[in-house]
Order: sequence, then structure tokens, then C-alpha cells
Amino acid sequence: MATIKGLLKRSPDTPEAPGVHPQALWSFRPRSDREAGDAIVSNLLLHWFPSKVYKPSLDWSYSFWLGTASAALFLLLVVSGLPLLMLYVPSVERAYQSVKDIEYVVTFGWWIRAVHRISAHLMVVAVALHLVRVFLTGAYKNGVGQGQCREWNWVIGVVMLLLTLFLSFTGYLLPWDQLAFWAVTVGTNIASSIPWIGPTVRELLIGGRTIEQATLIRFYVLHCIMLPGALGVLFAYHMWRVRKDGGLAKADHEAVLANQQPVPPVASKTYTLLGVARGTAPTVKVTSVEAPDLTVSAVPDLTRRAAIVVLATFALVSILASAIPSPLEEPANALVTPNPAKAPWYFLWLQEIVTDTTIRIGSFTINGAFLGGVILPGLLITLLTVWPWLDRSSALSTGRWFPKDRRTQNAMFLALVLLVLVFTVIGMFLRGPYWNFYWPWEAWPEIPARI
Amino acid sequence: MEKRTGSPYPKIDRPVLALVGVVLVISTAFFAWSDRQHDYRYYQYQFRQMVAEKFGADLAATTSSGIQQVWVPGLRRADRCTTCHVATNWKGFETAEEPWRTHPVEPLKAHPVETFGCSACHGGQGWAIDTAEAHGEVAHWEEPLLGEGLGESYSLVDNKKALMQMNCNICHRYERETAGADMINHAKKLVQDKGCRACHVVNGRGGTIGPDLTWIGDKAPEQYEYGRLSGQKTAFAWHVAHFKDPRALVQDTVMPNFHFSTKDAQALSMLVLSWKRAEFDVALYPGVARTDPQTAEERKAEEDMRTGPGGWFVQTGCFVCHSISVFGVKSPAQIGPDLSIAVEDVQARFGRTIDDFIREPTGTMSVVLSRQIILTPEQKQVAIEKLRQAFAEYQRLKAEGNAPSLSR
Amino acid sequence: MAETPKDSAPKDRREFLWKLGTGAGVVAIAAQTVASLRSLVPNVSYDAPTTVKVGLPDEFPDGLKFLPDERLFVFREGKTFHAISAVCTHLGCTVRAEALSQPEDTTIEGQRLRLTHRFSCPCHGSRYRGDGAAVSGPAPKALAWYHLSVSPDDGQLTVDLAREVGQDFRLTLA
Repeated sequence: MATIKGLLKRSPDTPEAPGVHPQALWSFRPRSDREAGDAIVSNLLLHWFPSKVYKPSLDWSYSFWLGTASAALFLLLVVSGLPLLMLYVPSVERAYQSVKDIEYVVTFGWWIRAVHRISAHLMVVAVALHLVRVFLTGAYKNGVGQGQCREWNWVIGVVMLLLTLFLSFTGYLLPWDQLAFWAVTVGTNIASSIPWIGPTVRELLIGGRTIEQATLIRFYVLHCIMLPGALGVLFAYHMWRVRKDGGLAKADHEAVLANQQPVPPVASKTYTLLGVARGTAPTVKVTSVEAPDLTVSAVPDLTRRAAIVVLATFALVSILASAIPSPLEEPANALVTPNPAKAPWYFLWLQEIVTDTTIRIGSFTINGAFLGGVILPGLLITLLTVWPWLDRSSALSTGRWFPKDRRTQNAMFLALVLLVLVFTVIGMFLRGPYWNFYWPWEAWPEIPARI
Repeated sequence: MEKRTGSPYPKIDRPVLALVGVVLVISTAFFAWSDRQHDYRYYQYQFRQMVAEKFGADLAATTSSGIQQVWVPGLRRADRCTTCHVATNWKGFETAEEPWRTHPVEPLKAHPVETFGCSACHGGQGWAIDTAEAHGEVAHWEEPLLGEGLGESYSLVDNKKALMQMNCNICHRYERETAGADMINHAKKLVQDKGCRACHVVNGRGGTIGPDLTWIGDKAPEQYEYGRLSGQKTAFAWHVAHFKDPRALVQDTVMPNFHFSTKDAQALSMLVLSWKRAEFDVALYPGVARTDPQTAEERKAEEDMRTGPGGWFVQTGCFVCHSISVFGVKSPAQIGPDLSIAVEDVQARFGRTIDDFIREPTGTMSVVLSRQIILTPEQKQVAIEKLRQAFAEYQRLKAEGNAPSLSR
Repeated sequence: MAETPKDSAPKDRREFLWKLGTGAGVVAIAAQTVASLRSLVPNVSYDAPTTVKVGLPDEFPDGLKFLPDERLFVFREGKTFHAISAVCTHLGCTVRAEALSQPEDTTIEGQRLRLTHRFSCPCHGSRYRGDGAAVSGPAPKALAWYHLSVSPDDGQLTVDLAREVGQDFRLTLA
């Protein structure tokens, strides 16, 4: 006992030599800058943070901490997915039954399923808003640091958004209810509208020509292993790049404000691990050495805020999960298409577009599935991906909300976002049976029942 | 020791953290609490009191507690109904209120709860453990509880609980008569008497003028045409209205109006909706018919009609509407006049010879002969000859004073 | 921003808020973890029932009949029945019965028993005598005997796999 206590307790006699950590454990509540630095250096989970961060990077109103919230949601999805993984049976005969069991007779099963579902919805929201924030603040732009390539982190981010959407989509199939079955029918038929390779792509996706057991197991493995794995790896890479690029883009902006003189990059240890790296590190110009009044220790000021965001995300999900029951439609029935058959809300703008984009020129017809379901979203994604290289605005507008020289592109981007939102709202609230238009106050025709 | 650089947000962050922490604790407590909110706890507690009062504390200790389940692998049903309906297998609570009432003993003799579960007969959602969900009164559940309430909403004649007989007939469909299923038995008798098979295939036998009805119960409710149906938009309501007056729902139908009573129409609707596929474990129903054979007399009567002198009218389908009594051909629907005296009758009705009328029919017959029964000129010639033979036979019998009474 | 003794009252408050926040967070996450683990304790059972009707007595031949679903040997000698488990007492494999070339009569627990078979386990080579007694191999004890009865409603032989009985148990039909 005495030895353990001795290990844990800071001894006042311990010399504070460089590289010697007087404590076996770190402290979340350091009493000195040195102790704060130690926390970063000696902790596996904390070491992805810099030891010093720019105060303004922590502002609620700059980043809204949307990336952290997304990561918290991803964590929640993984954790809530674990019990579901043991309770759910990925078989055409038993999937629906096992979800009913989770809903009705598994203690807290309904809540775990609701947490998983709500987190998935919120993650789509958080990731999309994160992307909007990064675009509007020009945070994909390189600022004053050397060796930055934020464009690539932007590209990774776009891929992560797509992965998030695909994760949600594959999760939809698993309960094997009507929603699942027809969402997958429509989704994979969009893929099959690609000329030449389409049908093969669809066959590969669903493991045959009909949606059956082979489809379920493919989507199951994608949903539980491949996509989360890919997202986890990209997430790590995303974080690493944030460090390499000198933290949030806001830091570049502040650095420029604090130090108006252009200076050549200098050797710095601030953002390198343990200070072992020598030479010109890929880092921004300004460091704590030069502007101590602009920085704070990551532990505890960054970790506390991160903890607040993570806990707040958990609390929000937990409350919503208790309040919003998770729907489960009728068992999948290949003989009856529900009316209306609506995709999950984040795909409704696409469903709306594929409805409106079948074009006939004389006898020549372009299927809306191809134009609206493949070409248009493909174009949008391509545009998003390459935008950092098309953006010619000044490096000075990096990490600022609504800078003057990005006014036009921000307006265009917002207009596109608004358009997507409008289509989503139309699809959510204004479409009824046979995809007819109904005002919210108009009653839908009665859906017939068997008895 | 050097000091630590101070936090830029000391005033905001700690209260926010505290608030978030407290909210998280409250939300955790809330879901843990709401997971326990089930009515069955009250029902089981109440039942324990009832048993204690009636039979003493020793037996009360043996009442079930927690979620109960009857798992029937052969029907792929896991029924949790007995979680609330605690008295199902107890004696002595026959007059108690639901859900504390004893199940009637008679049907359970052949269908023990342990082997058949509940929802296979009663409908509803066996997975669920709360009333509304279990009774199927929620969105996205297509199998409602076939109880008194539902029967009342359809104003069932006689027995408001009769809808459940539909589920009896899913397994007992090939039986002519099933004990306890009087509405279904009534409907099955109607099917025989009215000769539905003249136009419809049922279980592989019958005519092809109307649709095959063998699995009509599987037809999705969305597939019916409700444009002319007032009131409830359900497959059951559609069938009741359609049996009462086919043409009121489907304008160009050739199905005759049999003038069924409300009870007939309800019984027949129950019967046809019970004609659906279901998963079965054959081991569950030894002794129940698995095919639908005809009796020897039925087969002989049908054979006689088909091979007798009037056989031609049976094969071409004329007999669906018309009897030819002199040849022993009896029409199931009898909506057209007897063809025994067609030669005379056509002259009287239309002022035309039979030859002329068959070649160029007018009115209903022009529709029938251009859509349902299409005859070549040679076949029409055969028809005319057969009709003349029938009339000759009729006159011969009449001369003997044995003329059959004819429907007109 | 350095803390000096004069802010000791705000410091106490900050201390309290910090502890409240982190403490509540840790407690809530721990509770939610426990809740998630509780979901793995099954509330309903999909297991086969332990009381099983196995058929009319007449469907059983004299000697032995193996019931694979129940993993059970049912022995008949005229009007007398008894049932021995086919589950090896070592590690639960299903033992196989071999007919003896020469049936032998013994007396076990005061009851006469005609041994017609012996049993051996394919997994680790345990061997049992016809009454279930372990004779060699790793099996620690004899094969279980289960309670047999005649169902009052349809006269089927009923085995209760939750009710072990002694080796003197016999079901004799009237």
C-alpha cells in the first residue's frame, strides 16, 4: 500500500528535471503549467491534444464544438451498438422478431435502441453542421503555418460525412421492416441506374437480384464492422491532421492578428510530440513562447470543455431517447409497398430530386434516378471535395466567420444548403400517398387496413 | 513552483459542467424509472390479492410474476399475453373481470395454451406486454385483436366475438364443419349452396370466370378498390359490401347479386379473409383435414352434369347463369332464365328467332358472349341445335305432364 | 488570473461545482453502463419446455428407444418403463448406446433391472453400464434418471427433464 501511495503522491523532494515525471499518474487539475504539460505527455488518450491551445479556439461561438459532439455521438453509437450486437439476430426470419424483443421484453432494450437511433440521427446533423461551419469559416484554408494542408483534412471530412450517411442507411435495413426493405429497394435501384455498371453494382450490394438474406448479412457486416472501422481510422487521421495543421483555423487568424509581421517559419517544439522532433516542424508561426497571454493549457481548459460537450451530448441523447419512441413498421413484405414510402429524412431531399428530374427529350429519356440520384449528388460531392483548391480568397480570411472576400461563395454555399433543406422539409412534411403534395393542414386519404 | 496560467472561462464552464452532470443523472434516472412502468405489475399484484382472498396465501405465492412467454416455434409466435392475463389456466375466476378471467376450458382442451399460444387464435401482437400494443391498437401492426370490440365496430350480427373464427379457419379451412365456428360453418354451407365454384377456383377446383379465391385472404388491403365504398376502408368492410351488392363496388363486374343477408355477407367475408397462407407445424394439428376432397355424391352429381345431355352447357359455362332443367343442369346462380324453353322464350322476349339471337345477341347476352364466353360460329351452331333438342325434350315431358318447373 | 487567498469563497464554490459536475457525470455514465449490461440478462425464455410428451406407450418397443430431441433413452420391459439421460456427466456430449450380446439381470437399489445396453461417450471415452453407472473414463458420476408419467388427458408418456429420480424408479402401466 505504502508503495502505491508513494507512487501516486507527489513528493516535494522529487527534482523537476526535464523529461522526468514526478508523478506516476497525471492530474486533470494541474497546479502548474508543468503539471498540465505532463498530463498531455503521460496520458494515452490526452496525447492527441496539444499541451497549449489558443484561448479563442475554445470559444463556444467559433466552432460550436460540433466536431467534438460528432465524435461523442460516434462513441455513443459504438457503445450502444455493443449490447444491440448481442441482442439482434441478423437473419431474415428472426431479425424483426429480435427487434420486437429488444423493444418489448429486454430490460432497457427500448432505451438502448432509442439511444442508438437518436445518436445516428443527431450524428448526421452534427457532422453536416460541422461541415457547414468549416466551410463558412474557411477553416479548410491554410493560414500562416508551414506544412499545412487543411484541404486534405477537408476531403477526409467529406468522406466521413458520406460514411456517416452510409452507416445510417445500412442501419436502416437491419430491423427488416417495411421501412428497411423499401428504403433498400429504392437506394440500391438508384445505384443500378448508373449506365453499364449499375446493375452489377446493385447485385454486388445486395448479393443477388432480390433483397434477401444475402443483402441483410452484407449490410450487417458493413454496418457493424467495415464502415465503423473505416470511420474510426479516418477519425484518427482527421485528428492527427488537425494537430499537424496547427490546430483550429481560428489559431491562424489570431496568430496573424497578434503578429502582423510576416515571419519565416521557425523551429518550434510546441506542436511536436515530447519535443523530440528537431528542425522546422509543421507548425504555425506563433507559439506560447511568443504569446503566452494568448494560450492556455489543454489540461484542464480544453479537456473540461470537451467533457462538457461530451456529457451534454450524452444527456441530450439520453433525454431524447426516453421521450421519442423508435418506430418499427410492419414486417418486410415484398408484395406491398407502403404508401407513401419515405426514405429517412436526410435522404428525403434526394427522394424529392429523383422525383423531379426524369427528363424526356423527344423519345430520349433520362431516368431521374440517374440524374437526381447519381449525377446531381455526385456533382455536389465533387464540388465540395475540390472546393478548397477553387477557393482563391486570402489566407487572412482563414478561420473567420463571414469574411468579406468570401462573401459570394459563402452566400452560394448557404443557398445550396437552404435548397437541400427546403427539399428535405417538402419531403418530410408536404408529401403524402403517391408522393402527392399535401399541405400540413390537409388530411391524407385513409390508409386501408385488413380488418 | 511556477503557477498555472488561468482559465479564460472560469465563470461559465464550471456551472455549465455541473448543470450538464445533473441533467445527465436526471435523464438516467428517468429512463430507468420509465422502463419499470408496465401495467402488468399492477395486474399481477392484484391477482395475487385475489388468489390470496379466495384460496389462501400459499397458492397466492405460486402466481406468476414478471414477463411470461409461451414460445411456439412451429407457429413462430412468442406470446406474452399471459403476463397480464394471469388467470388463463386458473380455475375459479370464470366470472372475474379481464384480465383476471379464467379462459373457457372447452377450446383449450384441443388447443392448450402451452402448445398453441394465444395470438394464433385471438390475433393481436403477442410480442408486446402493454395493452394497446398487445391488442394491436397501434400503428404498424396489421393483426388486431379479433375480439368483441372489433366485432362491434363492424356491427356483427348475432355473435360479436365471431371474428376470431377467421383464425380457426386458417388451420381448419379444409373441414366442412368445425365445432365452435358457426359463422364459418354457415359461410361454408353458402359456398356449397350458391355454387361459388361455378366461377371461382377454391382449393384447386372451380371455374375461371371469376378470380381464384384460394389465397384471397393474402390480398393486401391496398390492392382493393375503395372508390365506391363508404364507411370503413378495410378489406373486411369491402368484402361485406361486395357480397351484398357486387356491382355497387365494381361497376362492370359479372358477379351476380345473390341478395345475401347481412349475416351471410359477414360470414362469407370472414371465410374468404381466412383463406390465407400461414406458417404451420403439421405436428400441431393431427386429425385436421389437410385437403379439400369432394364427397362421392358431389363428385357424381358434378360428373352427371358434365357428361349428361346438358354437358355442353356446363363446359362452356352457360350453366353459371342458366339452368337447363330438362337435362338436369342446375345453375348455381340462376340469374338467367331456364334454357329448356329458350326457343320459345327468346321469341317472346325479343321477337327474334333463336338462330338470329345467338348469332347477333342484344342486351346482357351481347356483353356475356363478347367478353366471358366467346363462341366460334361453329360453336354457336352447336348451341342452337342443343337448345332445340332441349325444347323438344321439354315439349315431350310436357305432353307427358312431367314438365319441370322453370325459373325465369 | 492566478488564484490568491482572497478569492477563497469563489474558489470553494468552483470546487463544489467542479466536483458536482464530474461526480454526476461519472455516476450517470456508470449507471448507463450497468443498464446496458442489464439488457443482456434475458427476461423471457426460448428454451424448450422441460416437461415433454414423448408419445403413446405403445409406440415404444421392448428394450430401448432413443429420443434425440430430449436426448433420452426410454427403456421398456413389458409394462415397465424407465428413462435414462443420454447426456454424458463429464462435459455434456450425447452418449451412444451399444446393445449387449448377452443381456444380464442385476438388482439395483432393491429393484430388479435387466441390462440390455451399455453406453459410451464419443468425446472423451467415458463408459457407462446399462443402469447409467460410470465404469471408466473421465465421467464423474452416473447418467441421470428422469421421472416418467402418463399424461392424464391423452395417455401419452410424459418425461420431466427437470426431475431426476433414483435408480429404483419404474413406471408400471396398469
